[in-house]
Amino acid sequence: MKYYRWSDRGEGRKIGKIGNYCLYERVITEESCEETNVSPKVERYGTFKFVYGPSAGGLLESVKFDITTDGERIFDINSVPYKIRKIKVTGLSWEDALLRIERINAPFSASHAIAFLLAVEDAMNIEPDYQTQLRRIALLELERIRNHLFVIARLTETASLSVPTYHLLYLTEKINRLIGKLCGHRYFFGVNYINRVDCNFEKLFEILDIVKEFRAIFEGLLESRIFIDRLQGNGILRDKDSIGPAARAAGLDYDARLELNILPYKEIGFKIVKAEDADAFGRFLVRGYEIIESSKKLIELTDLIKDGNYTSTKGYEATSHEGEGLARVESPSGDLAYYVKVKEGKVASAQLLSPSSVNIKSFMKSVKGTIFTDFQFNWESFGIWISEIGVNLE
Amino acid sequence: MKNWWFLRGVRKGILTEKTPKDVAEWSTRIEGTGAVNCPTKAIENGKWIAERCIFCRRCYPNYKPNLDYKISIVKGTQKLFKKSFFVYPIDSGSCGGCNMELKLISSPQYDMTRFRIFFTNTPRHADAIVVMGTLTEQMKEVIKEAYDAMPEPKLVVLLGTCAISGGIIGEAIPLEATVLIPGCPPNPYTILDALIKVKGGEK
Repeated sequence: MKYYRWSDRGEGRKIGKIGNYCLYERVITEESCEETNVSPKVERYGTFKFVYGPSAGGLLESVKFDITTDGERIFDINSVPYKIRKIKVTGLSWEDALLRIERINAPFSASHAIAFLLAVEDAMNIEPDYQTQLRRIALLELERIRNHLFVIARLTETASLSVPTYHLLYLTEKINRLIGKLCGHRYFFGVNYINRVDCNFEKLFEILDIVKEFRAIFEGLLESRIFIDRLQGNGILRDKDSIGPAARAAGLDYDARLELNILPYKEIGFKIVKAEDADAFGRFLVRGYEIIESSKKLIELTDLIKDGNYTSTKGYEATSHEGEGLARVESPSGDLAYYVKVKEGKVASAQLLSPSSVNIKSFMKSVKGTIFTDFQFNWESFGIWISEIGVNLE
Repeated sequence: MKNWWFLRGVRKGILTEKTPKDVAEWSTRIEGTGAVNCPTKAIENGKWIAERCIFCRRCYPNYKPNLDYKISIVKGTQKLFKKSFFVYPIDSGSCGGCNMELKLISSPQYDMTRFRIFFTNTPRHADAIVVMGTLTEQMKEVIKEAYDAMPEPKLVVLLGTCAISGGIIGEAIPLEATVLIPGCPPNPYTILDALIKVKGGEK
């Protein structure tokens, strides 16, 4: 493994559970990956269990929440993902496995596909191609902007701010169309390969118009007391086990883009966006400023990415058809990693650490003590996708 | 002044489109010739079967998308819903793509409400249930309960290749559906076109 090594004990920050192992900043261990900071279950006189989900109007996906409450305050919560998919990738070629991997979570499809391919390339000892790595960064940053726009639209929708909601959905659709124009598919399906990205980045500069429009909405939201009041002090989470925007909102500089040299982020210059509040407002701020930061990087990439021919078919040379590989990328909601074993050119096993599986634990920690009307804002601020939690890679 | 959202909205003007723009090619009808190794058997005897296609491009360049987004299969219309058509989305086991695309038909570019199509938060108020994703064990009972809770007449819409045929991930939804909307995920224009057809037209 090029990017990671096995260790008896964890070193650096803990990322989370990956299959039967525990993933840290630069090492993987056989530790049990126990949770820290878990508060005990609360039983109080007069409390009852309120069930929200698994299918309800406010939820985009199927998940059930068992909420222990006295009617207003949330004392305890448990979440049960209702859509458990078994996805078989073992025994498949990397191409066949990839068809399934990119369908684990469409909104984070680029992150899944790229992390998986980086792990396969690592396992098969394939020399990375610099242009491909730059293109992968472009996909990841486009995905980040799309996701953050959508998350902020969900927040404004929850606050019943219809104009910014529809304006943000308009921009989400615009970026989906831009991705469709660049790659032929709005969710990057079928564009990622080993040492190859089949997208034409000639029109990447169009991201500027989208982000310019976003800035105006963002500035408006930053002056909207109605909106800010719903987010400030809601779902405070200061936890060293958190990841992504949730961690950065608490002032922690956790970001796979700068921690690892798997993708050449450092070469294009990159600034971590942080906030101090650690609440839903902090997470909103981080997402908003990350949209702006990511767009700057994309514009820099327009100069660095050489003319991308849509139908290019660059080959690759694998020096090994057997081995293990581990790669981690910064998805829109935080660290996403794959640990892959390859045997005779086929995927022998693949294990996933999805950002939503870490974030849902963070969400449940942050929701305790809040009131019912805060719930939806807090939930949306984490940008969790149940589709990548409820997946068993076989 | 910045928070006068109403004025900001008016200033932005009308964003809704009369004709489709910028349709991503790999969500449209596929045509071509020749034998290909399709992982979902969506091409058999040179014929493209939309209900099975996951738009993976394995058939390219023998087969190519032709930008025709009207690929849904509508088996009948219910004109009772012409003036108001409420749909209840339910996610059986999707990757989130269908959820996003369905949500985006409410975006200003498409504005589903101009065709009198609305989302409802409960199956009790629904004219149609829109099922997304592959069949998953725990959601079987939930889908059945939601369907049973709907008033008559009621329609079933299967959204996306996973729900229709299982795609490459799993099993299809075993419900008799009036509308099949293929795609991985389906384009918002395809979704809107199908919903308009089943309710018996635009107005």
